[in-house]
Amino acid sequence: MSSKRIPRLGIGGPVGSGKTMLIEQVVPRLSSRGYQAGIISNDVVSREDAERMRLNLAKGRGLMSEDLVVGLATGGCPHTAVREDPSMNISVVEEMESMHGDLDLILIESGGDNITTTFSPALADYFIYIIDVSGGDKYPRKRGLGIESCDLLVINKIDIAPYVGADLSVMERDAKAIRGSKPYVFVNCKTGEGTEKVTDHIIRDLLFEAPPKAIAKK
Amino acid sequence: MSTSKIGEIGMLQLADSFFPTGMYTTSSGLEALFYSDKKKMDVDGLSEIIKVYLKHQIGPADCSALGSAYESIQKKDLQKLIEADNTLFSMKLIEEVRNASVRSGTQILNCISSFILNNDILNKYQNAVRDKRASGIYPVALAVASNTFGIPKYNAGLMMLYGFTVSLIGAALRLGTLRHFDGQRIIHELKPAITEIVEKNIDRPLASMWQFAPSIDILQITHEGMSSKMFIT
Repeated sequence: MSSKRIPRLGIGGPVGSGKTMLIEQVVPRLSSRGYQAGIISNDVVSREDAERMRLNLAKGRGLMSEDLVVGLATGGCPHTAVREDPSMNISVVEEMESMHGDLDLILIESGGDNITTTFSPALADYFIYIIDVSGGDKYPRKRGLGIESCDLLVINKIDIAPYVGADLSVMERDAKAIRGSKPYVFVNCKTGEGTEKVTDHIIRDLLFEAPPKAIAKK
Repeated sequence: MSTSKIGEIGMLQLADSFFPTGMYTTSSGLEALFYSDKKKMDVDGLSEIIKVYLKHQIGPADCSALGSAYESIQKKDLQKLIEADNTLFSMKLIEEVRNASVRSGTQILNCISSFILNNDILNKYQNAVRDKRASGIYPVALAVASNTFGIPKYNAGLMMLYGFTVSLIGAALRLGTLRHFDGQRIIHELKPAITEIVEKNIDRPLASMWQFAPSIDILQITHEGMSSKMFIT
């Protein structure tokens, strides 16, 4: 139904893994390079994530208008909302596409879920799965569709690895073994460490290095 | 296989909760009742409140709009079809309920038009939605889908009321107020009410459509304003 499809980035991961913080790191970096983003946040039980991003990214930093951060309830089924029946998400994406055709990309944050989360290809063109080290360094080894099939695996909270007994070299080895040549990035979303690399992947692999629409128009 | 047999399978397909409408994300305000008055969420209370929804809101408004839309489709009257859409849209008082209904309906149209390419009324109605002459609200979109699948009008009405009932039971189950067998018992016990409400409303003229369930309106308004919730209203 939409006039023109805007590239869509799905971000999934367990509760507390840092999905919202990753967005809060990546959107300003994209913006500094001229790329304008809209955000749809699927919350499991509250509007907190959407409201926080609206406050931090829209009101606080003026990086986007407030209506470009939309919170969506999922009826307690976060994985269904982005995979088996993404109807509500697709509707909101299409509304955003028709009202803000000048956006360069739309980020869709899934509700916190388990390691089997994936995005419907009808909803997301590129899929980042984020985990953190606090679950132990066994996480990549446990596989799960999210870890295996995502386009980019992001491993967050590397600063606390020594305190939770997580060996980053083990996580790196297992990520390579499970994912083959598909990329992974270690990050600390608190400080921003590693998130520039995530931004590079998005621009290269989702946007195919197309110039921002605002710049291309000039 | 005869067309009617295929229509029967089409009815199963559209009524299946696996069919992508996103309705599992809504509770029609039931979640607000869960937090305000859990006593009303036991088996008997839930059965009673679903009847109120069906008798005073979904029956005389949504079911009537579906029936009227279906008649317009049969007469190839696009203007009347759009009128049913616009009338029902204007009667959905709660913004989140209205938006959810439009989003579900639009996605039904998107879904079936991805594999049914040459249905005239489907294409024309979808164009009207695209041009914003119509909203794509769920009961009218379901009438278009039902006609496309060869499902008779009355059966389309049954399917919609059944689907609404199942979505409320699903919400109650996920809120943890109901055992799964009890959910099926409620659906079973509501079957006579569902058939009766469809019979009473499916041929109601557009000008006689109504809804009056202020306690449910208030419930839905309350839910819409809740900061922490699992469901779209």
